Amino acid sequence: MNPRALAVWVAAVLLLSLGSEDPILRVLTLGAALAVLLARRRAGTRVRPALWAVGIAAMLTVLFNFALSHTGQNVLLELPGWLPALGGPLTLEGAVYGLDLALGLGACIVAGICLSLVVEPYQLVDALPALLSRTGAALGAAMTLVPRLGHSFAAVREAQQMRGWRPRGMRSWTAVVVPSVLTTIEGSVLLAEAMEARAFGSGPRTALATSKWRVPDLLIAATSGAAIAGFVLAMIFGQVPSWQPYPSLILPGLNWWPTLCCLALFTPALRS
Amino acid sequence: MADALLPSPLHPGAAVVTEVARFQDFGYRYPESESLSLDQITVRLEGGLTLLTGPSGSGKTTLLRSLNGLVPHFHGGQAWGQAWILGRDLSTSTTRQLAREVAMVFQEPESQFVLATIRREVAFGPENLGLPAAEIADRVEGALQALGILELAERRIVTLSGGQRQRVALAAALAMRPQLLVLDEPTSQLDDSGANSLRWECQRLAGHGLAVVVAEHRPWRLDAPGSRRLELGHGSLISGLQPKLEPPSLPARSSHPSGPSAWEVSDLEVGHQQAVATGISLECRQGEVLCLTGPNGSGKTTLLRTVAGLLRPLSGSVHRRPGRCAYLPQEPGGVLHQASLVEEVSQTIRWLKLDCSPWPVLEEFQLTAMAPSDPRDLSTGQRQRAALAAVLVGSPEMVFLDEPTRGADPNSRRLLLQVLNRLVAEGSAVLVATSDTQFAHQIGDRVHELDAGQLRQRSELAA
Repeated sequence: MNPRALAVWVAAVLLLSLGSEDPILRVLTLGAALAVLLARRRAGTRVRPALWAVGIAAMLTVLFNFALSHTGQNVLLELPGWLPALGGPLTLEGAVYGLDLALGLGACIVAGICLSLVVEPYQLVDALPALLSRTGAALGAAMTLVPRLGHSFAAVREAQQMRGWRPRGMRSWTAVVVPSVLTTIEGSVLLAEAMEARAFGSGPRTALATSKWRVPDLLIAATSGAAIAGFVLAMIFGQVPSWQPYPSLILPGLNWWPTLCCLALFTPALRS
Repeated sequence: MADALLPSPLHPGAAVVTEVARFQDFGYRYPESESLSLDQITVRLEGGLTLLTGPSGSGKTTLLRSLNGLVPHFHGGQAWGQAWILGRDLSTSTTRQLAREVAMVFQEPESQFVLATIRREVAFGPENLGLPAAEIADRVEGALQALGILELAERRIVTLSGGQRQRVALAAALAMRPQLLVLDEPTSQLDDSGANSLRWECQRLAGHGLAVVVAEHRPWRLDAPGSRRLELGHGSLISGLQPKLEPPSLPARSSHPSGPSAWEVSDLEVGHQQAVATGISLECRQGEVLCLTGPNGSGKTTLLRTVAGLLRPLSGSVHRRPGRCAYLPQEPGGVLHQASLVEEVSQTIRWLKLDCSPWPVLEEFQLTAMAPSDPRDLSTGQRQRAALAAVLVGSPEMVFLDEPTRGADPNSRRLLLQVLNRLVAEGSAVLVATSDTQFAHQIGDRVHELDAGQLRQRSELAA
């Protein structure tokens, strides 16, 4: 998949999931993001940890809104007022609105995950305009440090366990966390040194290859662009339904115009 | 490595390099360091192959870093005297400027990778030179082919073995088509075939007019007719001395494998998701040193980690006697995190509730003088000894060492042999995975070679 086409699609997902609070549109947008992630992820990439992270973030969002909003007519539980922040009525409306926020947040995170699991990081870097090529290369290098930290953490934990270390409380983890972080920092300095020694920053950069545009990529970019334009126009003409569960729950409205825009986001999942 | 795959000459139209570098009373001190790393260096480096030797911490890496300006421009610190690299004054030429003509492979190649896949990594340098895409592709192809890793081009670097990573780093340097190639311990993780190929490649590059400067603890692996040899000691050049280029003989060790079985594996299949070796049945007795050798990427580390209990076997069984296992990972820096070396060894003693002092093992590895030092301030070879001291303190029943001679000078190898002799005499069962076949044959009661997923016994120490 062409990284520029993917970038347009991600922009569309972000706009549609954040541009309206309508839960139907958010369900469709999240569905599109999940469908694209599952259909287009690179071979050998692991989706399950990312989905767990999204699930946990969504659950926390629902819990926080349910526990902290204290607004709405359908009270499910009343917590004593002396409890800081938590004290007061816990309402069905608070939980439903939390779920709506979680849908939007989930769609945004899954779209972000698509950026790293559908194309290689270097493809994204190469897709940046020439003006940003040096920044892009530095970002590309920074991206390799994240898995390096994970690898370092696993290796250090293993080595320390063989030296007799056992996890006993939070403080004991310093024996693993400190060397992992130190190793990663040391690695960053060595990486900077190696980049300097390989002429990074000595002049304008070129690229070995740039991703080519194929017909399916053009279709993805066109439908995503159309979804963005259509949604913006729908907002201007008041066609995007507004929805708020407060003070009492109401059913979300349905409008064909923004709904079609959301359905267009499924295009990348339809593999040629 | 394949023959004649790099363009010949490497730089069409380029002149043969005669004077590579000239140092006049050159000295250097790292920031916040009390000791001099280089002192009164006066030398003229010429084209061709130059081998730089000297014990760990003698300043080899620092001298190499000065060849591309990383010392002093990147690291800071104090430099004095004069130095010219390829005719440029070092005091006014930055690393970025020198990098267009000087390529360097670092001591820890895994730390120098910028991008995730091999082809893109090798292309990174030529991309920085602003070359057209077709020329970048040509250079990448040529360098990968020359190092024999063209078939791995699309692999992710994290999936490679240490030796394969070293080859990628070399390919990345060759793709820059430099006038001066600087290699810091390039064979530390290479198998014999890789080292032979590198020697051949260095000779060929030198023959094409390229200057190659190599710091190496085992210089005999790269020595070639016409090469020049320099030796460093405590930051100074040792004049008039040509280091011996034969492998130093280690004190003979006698075989002690008379004890009961320490661990045994049968019909083992090892790997992460896919099997890298199958049908492995092996036993190690108390008081025995068993060595695993084999080409880079053959699965030595995977097998060692499986036997040590760090990785589940895909099938088959592993039986270890109860007792302490000491394990040295391939990247030993990971185990060091205390503020001082003595504290590092003491930490193992505390964790394992051992009844011993940290000093004997520090003494055994000749680290007593460095005991108050932060382990991370030491050179790579010294760090390796520090990590060995931290894991081998006391008398572990089973010892698992992954590439223990990486970055080790001849003295460190001798010290390691002495410690292993002491351990096997006390009844330890030792398993060593190493690409250093010479060391394996010197210390191993039995040497097994892992190749193409199968284990073969190569030799047995005469009792």
